[in-house]
Amino acid sequence: MSLAASGISIRFGGLVALNNVAVSVSLGEIVGLVGPNGAGKTTLFNCLTGVAQPQEGRVELEGQNISRLRLEHRVRLGIGRTFQTPRLDLAGSVTEAVMLGFNPRLRQSMFGACLPFSPARKTEEELSARARALVAEFRLAADPDSPAGELSLGHLRLLEVARALASEPRYLLLDEPAAGIDDVDRDLLAQTIRKAAARGLGVLLVEHNVGFVADLSHRMVALVSGEVVAEGKPADVVGDPHVIAAYLGVQHVAA
Amino acid sequence: MSRDVKLWTAPAVVVVGFIVVMLLGLVRPSLHTTMFTIGLYALIALPLGLIYGQGGTISLAQGSFAALGAYTSAILTTRYGISPVLSVIPAMLLPAALAFVIARPILRLPELSLALVTLSLGTVIAVGLQRGGDFTGSYVGLSGAPPLPIVGKNPVLVAIALWTAVLIVVVLYSHFVRSARGRALNAIRVDRLLAEAMGVNVPFDLATLFAVAAAIAGLAGWFYVHAIGYIAPDSLNAETSANILFMVVLGGRRAVLGPILGAAFFTFANDFLPGAETHGLFFGTILVLILLLSPDGILSPQALRAMRRLFADRSAKPSVRPAPIADATEAVR
Repeated sequence: MSLAASGISIRFGGLVALNNVAVSVSLGEIVGLVGPNGAGKTTLFNCLTGVAQPQEGRVELEGQNISRLRLEHRVRLGIGRTFQTPRLDLAGSVTEAVMLGFNPRLRQSMFGACLPFSPARKTEEELSARARALVAEFRLAADPDSPAGELSLGHLRLLEVARALASEPRYLLLDEPAAGIDDVDRDLLAQTIRKAAARGLGVLLVEHNVGFVADLSHRMVALVSGEVVAEGKPADVVGDPHVIAAYLGVQHVAA
Repeated sequence: MSRDVKLWTAPAVVVVGFIVVMLLGLVRPSLHTTMFTIGLYALIALPLGLIYGQGGTISLAQGSFAALGAYTSAILTTRYGISPVLSVIPAMLLPAALAFVIARPILRLPELSLALVTLSLGTVIAVGLQRGGDFTGSYVGLSGAPPLPIVGKNPVLVAIALWTAVLIVVVLYSHFVRSARGRALNAIRVDRLLAEAMGVNVPFDLATLFAVAAAIAGLAGWFYVHAIGYIAPDSLNAETSANILFMVVLGGRRAVLGPILGAAFFTFANDFLPGAETHGLFFGTILVLILLLSPDGILSPQALRAMRRLFADRSAKPSVRPAPIADATEAVR
């Protein structure tokens, strides 16, 4: 049971962003995808989520080809994601922002949504209670009705994770979740990711910060200039000369 | 409980406001026809408030969709002897069908292009009606449409019938914005990629609501033609569409009651202002002032929050909030 991309190639004009890349994540596994800026991490992430279409290669979910499915279909199939830059209505409340996360699992008709005294009203009560529980669990805000715009960047990133988890995904794809957040929030984030994996979710982490990923993941994949240069146990990948060279420069390895 | 109160605030305000003005109409009967005009504009403007204020999708075709509904009903009732009770269905379905078909290609356009495209759509409809020969009554239009069923020509009953329709739309709108589908529409306004990541079929949702907005405009057109008895190409046209957008923006595009407030302001101002040629100057100045002072209109979320705070019991909820960190909100913009 896995979400797997294989033979992925993408070119933007003459620039080869990804060249025959394969990456996979199984249920219950935390996979860290690392690489320096411009390595193609986000492009690969976009291929997995359905935002970008690769020119070659395929993406499979539990053995089924989902390469041609759009983002909204993949989300409904259980591939949840977060955004590198939090995307939400900053004027809306924290609870409402989390409640949006339930949408992929809901089958609500436009008609039912408009009607008073319809089942949609009861659903609304339930979703609100569940969203408030998530707000409390992630310690997002003391007042769940406060505007999301008042949250710190760290809390906005946690909110993105809470919202993605609200859609009950089987695979959780996180785009740079730890960038720019403080140690307390980072620990809470790490705990959350471990807990999610323990519950059987497959987690793919795209991160710039190698230390954070190495601590957390079961397996790491290092991407440099659009190619996989190392893959395996975190300790091996972190110690791999190609990875060190990519991060610190070739001279360092030679010396 | 507080959730239910929120759901029924707007409909309650509409009912109370309507009753007050109609009672004042006992002293000043012209208010009954004024109420009809406001209700008509409100009915066309409300769904625009939904798709523009909640969905971020502008339209300058609402007036023309209303004209389409009015003409459909006028032609069916005067030429084919169909009762207005039945002609209301095609009067709503025809604009809706047209809107649904054109929605998919155009609703992905950015705001300004979308405004221009929907405006030209209105022009195409207007030209079609003018050049329709005897079938549409050409430049003269169509007269002799039968009065509204049941309420007839009694201005009080006509106003009650029209405002019942407005009330129903307000109830449905209030519930819609507090549902998963309403949040999905809100997400489309904030960011389409976010909406897609939340499993929203953006083109379908927008096309459906665009069609619903056209259908409600068509219903307003039906009220118009059967209350007044005739329809001409310039009764409901691109200028109406522009005025409708003005009402939505002025009244507050994010609030359910915004379009109604805008419609009331526009109608009363039109009645009290001398000389039609100065109206443009007046409305233009008002619009610029409002947009400078409160970009979301008179009933902006900020204004509503301030009002709620005024009425809320302060001792009930201690407002402990994490300190706002300015650069976090900066970073995500």
